[in-house]
Amino acid sequence: MKKIILVFLLAAASLIFTTHAQAQAIIIANPSVKSADVSKNDLRDVFTGAASSLKDGSKVTPVLLKQGGAHEEFLSEFIGKNDTAFRATWQSLVFSGQASMPKSLDSEAAMVEYVARNAGAIGYISKATPHEGVKVLAVR
Amino acid sequence: MNRWLVGAIAIALGTTSLAAQSLDDLNIQIHGYATQGFLYTTQNNILTTSSSDGSPEWFEAVVNLGAQPTPKLRVGVQARYFLLGNFGNYVSLDWAAADYKFDDRLGVRFGKVKTPSGLFNEIQDIDPSYMWSLLPQSIYPISSRNGNLAHYGGVVYGTVNLQQAGKLEYRAWGGEREIGGDDGYWVSFVESGITLPSGISGPIVGGALHWNTLLRGLMLGASYAHDNAWSGPIVDTYLVPAGPSTGVTITTPGNLLLSKSNTPDFFGRYEKDKVMFAAEYQRLAGNLFFQGVAPAPEDYSIRSWYAMGSYKLTGKLIGGVYVSQDFDRATALGPSRYSKDWTLSGRYDFGQYIYAKAEEHFIDGTSVGYDADLNPHGLKPDTKLTILKIGVSF
Repeated sequence: MKKIILVFLLAAASLIFTTHAQAQAIIIANPSVKSADVSKNDLRDVFTGAASSLKDGSKVTPVLLKQGGAHEEFLSEFIGKNDTAFRATWQSLVFSGQASMPKSLDSEAAMVEYVARNAGAIGYISKATPHEGVKVLAVR
Repeated sequence: MNRWLVGAIAIALGTTSLAAQSLDDLNIQIHGYATQGFLYTTQNNILTTSSSDGSPEWFEAVVNLGAQPTPKLRVGVQARYFLLGNFGNYVSLDWAAADYKFDDRLGVRFGKVKTPSGLFNEIQDIDPSYMWSLLPQSIYPISSRNGNLAHYGGVVYGTVNLQQAGKLEYRAWGGEREIGGDDGYWVSFVESGITLPSGISGPIVGGALHWNTLLRGLMLGASYAHDNAWSGPIVDTYLVPAGPSTGVTITTPGNLLLSKSNTPDFFGRYEKDKVMFAAEYQRLAGNLFFQGVAPAPEDYSIRSWYAMGSYKLTGKLIGGVYVSQDFDRATALGPSRYSKDWTLSGRYDFGQYIYAKAEEHFIDGTSVGYDADLNPHGLKPDTKLTILKIGVSF
């Protein structure tokens, strides 16, 4: 019985850690973006509509995932808001005429494809997701 | 009519470049939200509802249409149906504007645009964007929301990077503002027989600064608005109560003049992780003068402030408290001179699209939110108000 419980606990722990590893978010950008890295403050400003360019002057357009582990991880790690508060921020801007809602995509594959195709696009995906055609920005 | 023209021109100019582009390129978006509120008060009826019996007469629905034909140009329009007791019950234009942003340092917006004064003015009507059911009524009275929200004209805005000292956001605005004939400011006059058939309007200018300090999450700001002298036609209707002319209606035309006024406003907000604190102070002074009809001139000199805090209990549940107070130094002593409101509030988000709110107000004083017709036996000095609200957004 103890062995069964131990196996179950190990399996559960493995699942939790695997999920966490898969959800680890990285920042991707179209190759037209000059920067090789980005600060957390710049990311927060760009993804909350407070700025439309990075510190080096690169003009960027944020792209969002609709949901998922990478989305939650990105908000928690880089923006400091949960999904509810994040959407409320954008609703303030959209319904007061100050901004348009960023494009929201269904999957990480769609995110990679969109960012690769559109100049200035900046988004996020799980570290494990294939990301040919985009550049990965280091976060300072 | 001129005001509609301003909005139409803004949209037309913005859309001249749309024709040759595909719908996908234009990034056309449709958003909206709707809310249904329920009010219950222990004593006085509030906000022109029969709230002491429990009132569901609070409904709003908003539709927003926007397009972004180029990275720097956006156009949009937003319409609203609003019903709160005897207020509203019609569709109105929230804003209709074209926005050209050269870069983060400079942008211009024109048409019918939101007026960016104070901490919440631009978003005071956007229920999904905050936790409270009612924002502090001392500075953001919902019965006068439409008149304060927007103006016909423009806004210049931008952000200056202060390097070691943070960032400074600036906004400057000018144009014409209109207060409709059904605005909450006029309720006591309308109920005494003086109506404003076409509202009142006049020129405004103002500016605001928001300093995002180096302490992450701390913003300090100030705004200053100047309203020039306004005027609008009024009609005084009098029903002869006795004598040979009993029942005859006598109407007398006149004019309402609103003096020049300056409105300084100071505010701050600290927001980090699960907590948020904010406070605001505003001063409003001037006078109303009636030409051609009986009421004597009215002076007002109102000091208003609030302080609020909230805490995210879970990812979906948030709770908070505020105290809000206004005090009119030009009014005679008594409960009608002030209003103090302690409020407990909570919001639960069921998912991305549906949320519910609950709020309890402990109101002392009668200067905000009451009318005579729905309180025919006079106003009690204090009232408890319970609000339940449900909202959907997309």
